[in-house]
Amino acid sequence: MTKALNDTLSVKRSIKHFDFSEPYWEGTKQKKLVLQRCKVTKKYQHFPRPVSIFTGRTRDIEWSEVSGKGQVYSYTITERGPPAFRGQEPYALVCVTLDVGVNFVANIVNCTPDELNVGMKVKPFWHPLADGTHLFMFQPDKDAK
Amino acid sequence: MSLRDHAIVAYAETKVMEKSDRDVFVLIGEMLESLLDSTGIEKHEIDGLVVAGMTGTGAGNIFWPQTIADVLGLQVGFCEQVNIGGCSAAGCVVRAAAAIEYGLCEIAFLSFSDTHVLEDRTDHSHTYRREWTDPYGLMGPPGAFGLLSRAYEAKYGLDYRMLGKLAVTQRNHAIMNEHACEKLRVPITIDDYLNSRMIADPIRLLDCVMRADGGSGLLMMSRKKAKEKGLTKNIIPIGYAELTNYLGGENLVDVTKSGHQICGEKALKQAGLDIKDMKSFHPYDDFIIAIMLQMEAFGFCKAGQGIPYVREMNFAYNGDLPLNTGGGQISAGQAAGSSENLIEAVRQLRREAGDRQIKDTTNALVTGIGWINYARNWGSSAALVLVPE
Repeated sequence: MTKALNDTLSVKRSIKHFDFSEPYWEGTKQKKLVLQRCKVTKKYQHFPRPVSIFTGRTRDIEWSEVSGKGQVYSYTITERGPPAFRGQEPYALVCVTLDVGVNFVANIVNCTPDELNVGMKVKPFWHPLADGTHLFMFQPDKDAK
Repeated sequence: MSLRDHAIVAYAETKVMEKSDRDVFVLIGEMLESLLDSTGIEKHEIDGLVVAGMTGTGAGNIFWPQTIADVLGLQVGFCEQVNIGGCSAAGCVVRAAAAIEYGLCEIAFLSFSDTHVLEDRTDHSHTYRREWTDPYGLMGPPGAFGLLSRAYEAKYGLDYRMLGKLAVTQRNHAIMNEHACEKLRVPITIDDYLNSRMIADPIRLLDCVMRADGGSGLLMMSRKKAKEKGLTKNIIPIGYAELTNYLGGENLVDVTKSGHQICGEKALKQAGLDIKDMKSFHPYDDFIIAIMLQMEAFGFCKAGQGIPYVREMNFAYNGDLPLNTGGGQISAGQAAGSSENLIEAVRQLRREAGDRQIKDTTNALVTGIGWINYARNWGSSAALVLVPE
């Protein structure tokens, strides 16, 4: 477990968006994390859906910028990745509970295997993609209390 | 009439193969032949076809069950594909019973054959994966179960030796099962489990199913019809429930909990039994930890008490609670459209399991697990209680 983790930043990523996710991707162009919120219940949801998962209605969806900070709910270290990630192993995936109450699965960078722990505080790391969007990732939030 | 007025009157199964040496249609044909031969039913009497949708070879063909009917020359009043992933086989049983009860058909062939190693046309591209997990290199089910396992470990602690104990128990059963995939019929120890290479830490190689090819099938009809036909070694479904997208209307879900808590209770209530009454357990096993999570969800032990429960119990075919006595999918190979543990339960209740025959065949509990949600537990859960006639 002392082997350093790769950051996977050299992996070429071309992501096909669902049309109802576009506001999310638009936000990432300015390194803003914009998530869906239900107008009725005021709760957030992730991943983006065509309807509020709380009310079942398309009209109840709004988008709202959030901090992207949170803490690690779980993590896994990939030792055997899918074809596009072959050669990058080992790399980490974290499932982070954001401070707005949704879980977000992403890579974590600038993090050693010893640091990586359930409960650790994390903040955004924005990885630029060729289409002008950014891929949202996490990094340790060393200033967090 | 109700679920328990219907019967599984026969089963058929091929050996599990690393890769099929024949086309999936040949496997399906062999299953039909075996079911006809063992029951004396004529082909023209079969008027229902229920196909497990967990098929890599059939995936992408929106006419899959009709294609099978055509290939077999079956004229049917009920033609159905059941698409709830690893719950499909158990789900086929209740749907066949429902169709018979509704008068849509009288005798149903349940077909579970698949050759997803030989020919896989599964397509996950129009799902959350393309935006939310593929860009991060999350390795499908092992990655999801890696996240699940670590969350469980953080909440309750996890003695991996006890997961190894489950792996060894199932492997010992596979060695006794001549239909298990030959490659997997070699003994393992708990240390072999612990030392097997990491795939998605903490998921090891010996936590995972190996995809394999194979076929199986069941024949179902009403108990009344079975009696008319003189069929006597019948297995009766007395309780069934399924649940898809557990807590789907909530945004944060504890991944150590699953829909099995709800459908287990419902199926047992319908069966009129308590979990402590169950004499053997045939849980869907895609990963070893899924077996333990189901023990908790069904109430064999309390939430978070899976490890001590595994430590104190003997799950061998002749132990306290026989577990996946054919080896489970993990040690027999993941083949035949999620049906292997169901077929094994039917075989056991008919007392046809040879050297690994369970002593108490009063009943059996079979389960299904299907699909993986984003940042959640599994997507579908099923529970099926069976008893001999």
